[in-house]
Amino acid sequence: MTVIPDLVGLKAAILHRPDEGTARLVRQLGLLGLEAHVQWTPLDLEATPADIVLVDADQGWSGLLPWAGEPAPVPMVALLQSEAPGRVAWAISEGALSILPKPVVPAAVYPALVLAVAAHARAVEAAARMERLEERLRMRPLVHAAVRSIEMAAQCDEEAAYASLRRAAMKRRITIEQTAAEMLAGVIPLSEAG
Amino acid sequence: MGLFALVVALRFAMVGTIKVGILFSCTGPYSSIGRDCRDGAALAFAEASEMAGEGMSFEPVYTDPEGEPRAYLEQARAMLRDGCRLIIGTITSLARKEVIPLIEKHDGLLWYICPYEGFEANENVIYTGACPNQHLMPLFEHLLPKQGRRVYLIGANYVWGWEMNRIARDLLRDAGGEVVGERCLPIEETDVDRLIADIQSRRPDFILNNMIGPSSHAFLRAYKALGDADPAFRPEVRPVVSCDLTEAEIGEIGLGLSTGHLSAASYFGTLATPENERFRARAATALGADRRLSSFVEGAYVAAHMLMDAVRSAGTDEPAAVRAAVHARLFETPHGPMRIDPRTNHAALPFHLGRIRDDGNFDIIASRPAMAADPYMTAPRDGGRSSLRVVS
Repeated sequence: MTVIPDLVGLKAAILHRPDEGTARLVRQLGLLGLEAHVQWTPLDLEATPADIVLVDADQGWSGLLPWAGEPAPVPMVALLQSEAPGRVAWAISEGALSILPKPVVPAAVYPALVLAVAAHARAVEAAARMERLEERLRMRPLVHAAVRSIEMAAQCDEEAAYASLRRAAMKRRITIEQTAAEMLAGVIPLSEAG
Repeated sequence: MGLFALVVALRFAMVGTIKVGILFSCTGPYSSIGRDCRDGAALAFAEASEMAGEGMSFEPVYTDPEGEPRAYLEQARAMLRDGCRLIIGTITSLARKEVIPLIEKHDGLLWYICPYEGFEANENVIYTGACPNQHLMPLFEHLLPKQGRRVYLIGANYVWGWEMNRIARDLLRDAGGEVVGERCLPIEETDVDRLIADIQSRRPDFILNNMIGPSSHAFLRAYKALGDADPAFRPEVRPVVSCDLTEAEIGEIGLGLSTGHLSAASYFGTLATPENERFRARAATALGADRRLSSFVEGAYVAAHMLMDAVRSAGTDEPAAVRAAVHARLFETPHGPMRIDPRTNHAALPFHLGRIRDDGNFDIIASRPAMAADPYMTAPRDGGRSSLRVVS
């Protein structure tokens, strides 16, 4: 089941020259329970914390957002009127997850925010999962080494050695990779696996 | 009969005068372009009023947004509320994009006459300026085989500069060329020393100039000084090539300072055709014999006449009817017969490559007949291998 993100109480930074459109946007964000401010200077999340960023992709330049090349730390919406591929590419490269067409129509604000927030949450989750998997992949040689050590110590075959490593991991509620690393480091005695 | 005449006169007073908005910045950073546009439109309206009494009459409403995006918005809104459903105007894409939502909301029709970067085809806009398949693509097809494929890209720091440079990068990649450098400057930036130094060290085969206004003028002046000091940077060796530099701005740069550099345009004042001879004679009377005629003067003149012709044949300024009338016919213009594609609302336009002369006019050195606009660049490309017919 998809959970619709809660927007109430979030702080929004609007990076755009102040005009009628940004006034309309601030009003609509207020109605949705967000607190918004408008600036047309590079974003500094420490000075002005924001939970979501709406950025003018028609006029935005590299350096407007502080996360050059890195994944955006907060959900981002591109405010876009241009159809120029270069502008759409800029929005993608800066990490925009949804588009709010200009001139801003109030009815389009909520769906654009929800899409960006949900997509950002999914991206954060996927990145964390990928990091865990990469960590496990990196530690794979340790598992092989630990299995060989157990085989020698317990005089058993590879299958039995792996099964005992798994039991030790389950007992301690840590991953097999971590168990293997700790066993090779001497933190867990090999005999315990046996 | 007296009563009939009175009724006709009253009817004309009510519906016979069509107000047309003319929205160009005649002051501000790109004012020389704006003045050419306004003068071209004014010439067409003056010609029409001389023939008044034959049908509808037209009242142009002129305003000057001075290059300010917000002023474009306010003035366009005032025009639409004041009964101008048809507007000729805007020069930069920034201004056009500001105005379009209002035009859509009020169901108006905008005539946009300037060369631009494409990627737009709005129902409420008639585009009579060239898009990249009508300026940049034929320019590269002509120039790359002759001049070389190592290109330095410079642009204005807004969508025209960014997007033209991007398209140029794509075209060069397809053609086996190389981008040897790329810089964008704000329109009003005139400190070009670093840019000149970079070009001097990278020695491109030519420079594609997508800047406008003061930055472009400052660059061309500084490049002239570089060429005077080092013959390797003279225009016949390493030219500066533009898709929007016209007769309108050569005087502002300084006569003789940009001589030898190249521009692509759908019209040059020196075009030697009977249609253009007639236009030149009319323009000389109205604007002065020494006035250089640019594609902006001609483009606005053409747009205003086209607008009036379409309104007359539609019998109304109702935008859907005017649009249908625009699509239905071929318009005679100083650059030859012109048709608007009903699918894209864009004009089919010829391509000319001009070389700047000391007198601020252009020698036309290559041409290609009118070609349909492809605003989203969907047609297959040949990687710049075909070449143009060289006319001199």
